[in-house]
This record gives sequence, C-alpha cells and structure tokens, in this order.
Amino acid sequence: MKDSRLPWLRPVVALVISAFFLVPLYMILVNVFKQGEKITQSPASLPDPPTLDNITGLLSRTDNLFWASLTNSIVVTTLSIILLTVLSAMLGHFLARSRSRWARVAMLLLLSGLMIPPQVILMPITQVLRALGLMTTLQGLVLFNVGYYIPFGVFVFTGFLRGIPIELEEAAAIDGASRSRIFWRVVFPLLRPATASVLIFLGVWIWNDFINPLVILGPSQGTTITTGIYRSIGQYQADFGTVFALMFLATLPVLIFYLFLQKHFVKGLTGGATKG
Amino acid sequence: MKHKALLTALVTTMVAGACSVGDQQTAQSGGGGKKEISFLVFETPNMTPQVWDAAIKRVTDKYPDITVKKLVAPTEDRVSYAKQLLASGQFPDVMIAVSPAGFAESGAMAAFTPDELKDFDFPNNGAVQGKIYQLPTNTQTIPVVYYNKDLFAKAGITAPPKTYAELLDDSAKLKAKGITPFVIGGGKDPFASTLPWTATIATDVYAKTPDWMAKRRAGTVKFTDPDFKKATEKFAELAKQAYIDKKDVSRDYAATEQAFLDGKGAMYPMGNWFAAAGDDPKRKPSWEIGAFNWPTDDGSVVVPAFTGGGLSVSATAKNLPEAKKFALAYTLDKTNLDASVHNDGLYPAVKGYTPPADTGAVFKLGYDLYQEGVKSNTVTQAFSWEAGDDGMLPGVVDKWRAGAQDLITGNKTVDQVLASLDDEWAKAS
Amino acid sequence: MAVDVRTTSVPASATPGSRRPRLPRAERLRQFALFGAPGLLVYTCFVLAPIAISFGYSLTNHNPFNPPTRFVGLDNYRLLFTDSEFLTSLRVTTILTVIVVIVPNVAGLGIAVLLDRKGWLYNALRTVFFTPMVLSSVVVSVVWTRMLDDEGLVNQTLRALGVEQPPGWLSDPRLALYSIAIILSWQMLGFCVVVYLAGLQGVPNELAEAASIDGAGPVRRFRSITWPLLAPSLTINTVVLLITAFKVFDHIQVITHGGPGTGTTATIAYDVLQTGLVANRQGYASAMAIVMLVIIAAAAGVTLKVLNRREVNL
Repeated sequence: MKDSRLPWLRPVVALVISAFFLVPLYMILVNVFKQGEKITQSPASLPDPPTLDNITGLLSRTDNLFWASLTNSIVVTTLSIILLTVLSAMLGHFLARSRSRWARVAMLLLLSGLMIPPQVILMPITQVLRALGLMTTLQGLVLFNVGYYIPFGVFVFTGFLRGIPIELEEAAAIDGASRSRIFWRVVFPLLRPATASVLIFLGVWIWNDFINPLVILGPSQGTTITTGIYRSIGQYQADFGTVFALMFLATLPVLIFYLFLQKHFVKGLTGGATKG
Repeated sequence: MKHKALLTALVTTMVAGACSVGDQQTAQSGGGGKKEISFLVFETPNMTPQVWDAAIKRVTDKYPDITVKKLVAPTEDRVSYAKQLLASGQFPDVMIAVSPAGFAESGAMAAFTPDELKDFDFPNNGAVQGKIYQLPTNTQTIPVVYYNKDLFAKAGITAPPKTYAELLDDSAKLKAKGITPFVIGGGKDPFASTLPWTATIATDVYAKTPDWMAKRRAGTVKFTDPDFKKATEKFAELAKQAYIDKKDVSRDYAATEQAFLDGKGAMYPMGNWFAAAGDDPKRKPSWEIGAFNWPTDDGSVVVPAFTGGGLSVSATAKNLPEAKKFALAYTLDKTNLDASVHNDGLYPAVKGYTPPADTGAVFKLGYDLYQEGVKSNTVTQAFSWEAGDDGMLPGVVDKWRAGAQDLITGNKTVDQVLASLDDEWAKAS
Repeated sequence: MAVDVRTTSVPASATPGSRRPRLPRAERLRQFALFGAPGLLVYTCFVLAPIAISFGYSLTNHNPFNPPTRFVGLDNYRLLFTDSEFLTSLRVTTILTVIVVIVPNVAGLGIAVLLDRKGWLYNALRTVFFTPMVLSSVVVSVVWTRMLDDEGLVNQTLRALGVEQPPGWLSDPRLALYSIAIILSWQMLGFCVVVYLAGLQGVPNELAEAASIDGAGPVRRFRSITWPLLAPSLTINTVVLLITAFKVFDHIQVITHGGPGTGTTATIAYDVLQTGLVANRQGYASAMAIVMLVIIAAAAGVTLKVLNRREVNL
C-alpha cells in the first residue's frame, strides 16, 4: 500500500516518536565520551571535546577486570546457548509431535517455570548445585542457565514446529531414516529462524544476568562482565563518566551480537503466528 | 553423526573445565605450606581496589606464610551478600564491616577473646550475647552537621547554631533566601534519608536513656513512647517546614554528596566519613566547609557515634588461627589505621593511637567535635548504626529507613510510622 | 519473553499427525529418553526441585539465624492474607502489571503500524526500538534514575520550559510507581513493536488492497482485516508483558529500593527477597514466593484462555 496523501507525514511522525524514545540511549552514548564532571550539569549536551578517558581508564585497570570477566561471559553465554538450542529443539520437537497426555502436562510445568523470578528460588538452587558438586563452577552456572531458560526455547521451537508439516518427516521415515537422523537432517535446518530468536533472546538474557553468576560463581571464581560491572558501580559511583563507560562496555558485545542476528530472529519468534 | 559428536565434545569440554577450575583452587591453597584465607571487602569511591590491595599487602609482607584471596561484595550491602554466601556454603574466612547480628548467634562467626581485644578502646562494643565477633576498630560520628559557610553568610547567619531553636531559626533564614537548609538523599541508598532522625533520637532519646535499645529488646519501651515520639516529631517537622526537600528522597548517596559539594543546600548531616570527600583536593568546593554537632534543646553537647565496623572471622575458616592473626594484624597495623583515617575519615579506636598530623581540615572539624563529646562524656549510640545486641532486630532497620521517607514525603503521620515500627518489631522477634 | 504460548492449550492431537498410528511403547520410550528426557531432567533439577524445596520451607518457620526450624503447617500462608505489607505489595504489583500490559501493547501496535513499510529508514528505526531489550536491567535503571532525578534531564528541561515545581518522578510516593511502570514499558516497547510488525507482515497485501477497492477506509480496513490477523501477536505480547511485569525485581532494587517510604514501589518479588534475605524469615518468604507463583500462573492461565478463545472465534 502507498501513503497516498501527505507522503512525508509517516516518516516525520516515525522520526519524532523515535527521537523521544531514543533519549535514554543517547544519554548513555554521549556521556561515555564526556568528562565526568560535566555530566551532572549538562547530561544531554554533546561531548565537547570528546574524551576516551572513561573507557581507557577501565580497559587499563591493573586487575584486568574487563578482559578477565569478558572471557568468562563469553564462555558461559556461548556454552549455555548452544546447549539450550540443542536441548530445547529436541524437547520441543518431542513435545510437539507427541500425542501423549504427559506431553501436555510437561508443557504446563515448563510454562510455570517462566513465571518464577530466579532470585526467589536462588537459595534452593544453590542447595541443588552443592549436592551435585557444581557450586562455584562455570558448568554449574551453565547448567543452571539451561534449566532455567529451557522453557523459553521449548516454546519458541514448538510454536515454530506447528507450522512445519509433519508429512516431511513421515516421508523421510518411509525412506528408512532414523528418528535422530530425521530430526537433525530434515527438521532442524528448517528451524533456522526459531534458532536465531532463541540464540538472541537467551544470549541477551544470560549475558545480562548478574544475580545468578554473583552467587553461583561466587566471589572467588572471577565474574562475568555484567556482574563485574555491577560490582564496580560501588567504586565509581561518584564518577558518572566511568559508570556510563562501564555500562557501554558491558552492552557493546551483546549489541553487536544482536545487530548481527536481527535479520533472522523476528520470523522465528512469530513463525507459528504469521503462517496464519 | 555430526551433531552427536558436537554434543559429546561440548559435554567433554565442560567436564574437563570442571576439573581445571577445581585444580586451580587446590593448587593455590595447598602449595608451599602457605595458608590461604579469603577476605570479603567492598568498594566505594574512597575504598578503591588499590587501597584494599595495599592494606592487605602490608599484612602479608609481615606474615609471609599467609596468602589472601580478596573477595569483593557486589554492592555496599555486604551483609546480604555475606548471608547469601553463608547459605550457599561460600562464607568468607574474614570479612570487614559485616554486622555480626545473626551470624554470631547461629555460630557462623568466631568470637574474639578478651586477650585479643586488649588493644581496643571499647573492647565490649557491639557484643552479641556478651561476646565480641567484630573488632571494634574505629569510631564514626553519625551524623556531624557539615555546613556551607558561604550559604550561611548569604542568609546572614554568623555562627553555627548552639540550640535546637537556633537551628530552626537558621533554617527559616536559609529558606527565606531560597536556600534548601538540609541536604539529604535516598533512592537506592535509603540510609541517606535518615541522618537528621538519627540525630534527634540521640539528643532526645539516647541522651536521656542510653540503654533504650536494650529496653526495646526487653519490651519495656516502645517506639510510640513520648521521648521517641518527640524525636520523631522534630524530624517530621523539618520536612513539613520544607527545611528538608522531599524531592531529595530519590537521590542516591553519591549524587547527594555531590549535591552538597555543589552548593545545592546549606547543611549536610552525614557520618564523619564525608571528610574523605570534603578534603579531597579534586572535589573540594571553592567555599569553606564548617561543622557542628546536632544541637540539643538546652545547648548541651551530645555526640552520636558508633564504634565497630571492623573485621570478623568465620568460625569455620579452614585456617582459623591464621584468619584471626590476619584480622588483628590488619586492624592494628599503624599504616593501615592511618590509611583508614585518610581514605575513609575514620577515628581508630585503638589504644595509644592518634591520627596523623597531616589530616585534612574537614577531618579535623569532625574529630574535634567528637572530642568535645568525649570530654563531656556525652557520646551516645548512633541509632540504626549499632551492631549486635545494641542494634535493632534484623529487618527492622530497613523499615525504619522506609519510615523516615514516609515522614519526609508526608505519606504517613508520626503516629502511623511509630505504630508500624512496633508492629515490625513484633514480627521480627 | 517470546513464546508461542498457544501451544499449551491446543491439544497436541490437533497437529496434522493425529492420523498416524501410535508407535509401540518401547519405541516411544526410546524417543523420550533420547529427545525429551535430557531437557526435562535439567529443568527438574534447577527449577522444579528448587520450587519444591521452597514449598517445603514454606511449611516451616525456617530462619537460618534463629534455629531450630519447626514445622508450622499452613501458618505462614494464613498469616500472609492478613499481612498488610504483603497485601500492599500485591496491590503495587497489580497496578504495575496492568500499566505495563497496556502501555507497551497499545504504543507498540501504533508504532508497528507506523513502521510497517519497506526502506532503510524503517529498518533502522525497528532496530532502534528493539535496542532497550538488549540492555541489562541495571543499565536501564541507572540511566533512567539519572534522567528522572530532580536534577536530571527531564526536570532540567521542564525548568527550562518555565515549570517552577516539576514533579518528583521518583520521590513523590504517588508518582514513583508510575515512573517505574514507564521505565519498564520503555524497555518492553521494542519487543511489542517487533512482534506486531511480524504479525503485520503476515497480513496479505491483496486482502487489504481488495478491501481498499471496495471502498473501505483505513480505520475499517484495520478493524476488519488487520486487527483479527494480529490476534496471535496480541496474545504473545500480553502474556509476556504480564509475566515480565509481575516478577520485576532488579529495577526496583536499583532505582528505588522499594521506596520512597513504604507501600510505594515494593513489588512482591522485592518483598520476598527483603523478607528472606534481610529479615532472615526464610520460611515466610518461601510462602510468599509460592503464593506469588500461584497468582501469576493463574493470571497467565486465564489471560491465555480468554485470548485463545478470542483467536479461535475471529
């Protein structure tokens, strides 16, 4: 459809609304490059002259806070989302294709897991981790992430699977392929958009999580970047320039990741819905 | 199959990873006859990683058999974090400024013996069931009223107030000139809303009944009793007269300190650790900072102060003797004490210690005011800052702070706030 | 959180596969072991078991600092329904949830309709609207605190425009909750925009053009063609917003610490943490957590039922 009358109206309105929406993001960006003492007086002005001091000050910390926790974050996030994608795609497929009453029960149980904030059950979670000998390990944190976020993955995948005709799988079965083979060779490649949205959402959430790594990794095993940043706000609370730089650095990797995958993930999110 | 192989590889990596993390840990604590202890600290603009590292190094230089693993609490609320660590089996061996209430009763912390406490001025401060679980290292006056001499002069005030009536008078003068009399804060740091209330409780409750808290614990006094009510009404009145700006209750502590330094208000009742910022050459304002003790009705001196804040040791520390040795050495090291004076504006409560001569002007103001209280023997507890048996029950402090904000914003009346505090006390006991 | 939540209430047998003969029992078990079990096992360990442990605690007076722990039956639950603080936090959470369900839904739909065009400008703006979803709640909270402070950007601007007494966005007890709701709405808006956009792109152009030729105005076209086809998007957004708003904790902790004062912004999740971790009353806090879970599950269940029925009827 064309905007027949007033063709300029739509872009102008869109730009004005976006401008308001953008203000907080703009605030982060300009203040990262501004001298700390100017931030309180003129939070919205452009950095003049711009400075990299806030960022370089952090990157060159002697204790390597940023670089050390960056590694941890990347390891935890990558392992978690790969495992989550694999396990939730398999579980989602199983549940979507199962006609058992138990499958519905499992689905309901999974849905309820989305509704509890992890902070509220964090102490029992540490009890489970201790019983398994996984407390204060990266793999403990990864497994916790898998358990806590798997419902999300399952829902995205089952939703998407409903739009994929089962005849495809049946045809492959007649050709004698095993169920695993069918899943990985036939079904999984079709799930690409859903996989993209699972990767992006879970990647973002796990990256940004600070409460769980704080307790599960504990204070002695290094930290993830979000936890490290959160912790450093104490030291830099009077130094707004550094606080903004911390937030910028913590967000940058995940923002890049998002921009990289954004083309694909929208379809996955609403795959079932848009097929109509 | 490709994917199965990938999955197997992933699982193997994780298992291998588990070993390496574990190995690192044992290698560190077991190697070379060195005893490792973990030490939980917290970071603030004053207490930077460099300050902590230097202080720890002074002790480990002295005791080369001890190695220290520094742990950092995620926020200044290190008590909640210590609880989480305890509950998840990661309780640190040594920790600083963690109120022992609860930890001590449940046996998580080790008590210090009288012999270990012989060097302290107040060896019985902060006791829990008669025993000391936290070294009473330093004294802080909470609050000192810091003021902006420039703004006082603008309002025609020539000397700091001596009586409470004068304080109200001066506040009125300031307000008439469009100057906010008191600077307070809040937001994520609700304690910053409460300092004038701590002051009125000292002058109107603790000055008369020094053991008020013990009586509250015994149930013989209540928050709704007349003295406590009078102290609360004084505080509420400051807000009602707009001497405290109710909009300030959402401003966090760091921004509040900056607001006073930026001249956004005339008086800043705050713990004497403010000296660290006030004396910082980078942050020092162009105008002169003055200070006075919160005035009483009759002009007598009352100084609310809290002694404690030091190190505690876990009862289950793997190297308990070394942990204690470290805690005491850390605390009594002269250079560390000097550093705590310079960096955090503290008054060490250690026998024979005098602050170094090169302290800043703002530190001296607070220190001299404290000495006035010591001389006239009118140092009281600082309400809500007390530890152990002298403190409120767990959870009530937060309700009291929320109550302060209710009074400032006018959301609740004095009677409502005090009655709900008595309720909260009942729930917590 | 984005989920195709409809799956739960549509019987699995409705999938096209229902004509197939059932597999033998052994084969079904084998498939469960291979595909279903690993995920469910991890989930059970780290979510179901902790919830069960919490439920166990909720039947006791557990306080790690005040042993011994005694079994108290349903006392904690009974106490909850007379606890004015808990009831207040329930009210606070409900208000917050209602606002956060409505505002980003409505605004998101409007913006999605606005951006439902091809071209680099609209692509770029879509990215802009989604970006807050990528930020951690700590970052969002810190930035917004700086904006809404009395000396922050918003009030500086208002003062420059001549407003002498701009509102205390976070310090006025009557306003603070609404400010938090706006912050959350801002963060969630992009999600709704994206989901509605995906829905809009599924609306066949021919349908709208046909209606246009029939003389239907834009409003009628939207009501009779677009809106019904957006029903699944509405369901997803509503349920996701409901769950997100109901369990909000980080923002409260970083922005207001439950204040100013009492009964203003302390949500249930905040109250649970405060009671368990600060006041050490973990048995009681566990009971709160369980009640919270039941309420949100019921609310989400009813919402789903209603919206699903609506989808089917359209």
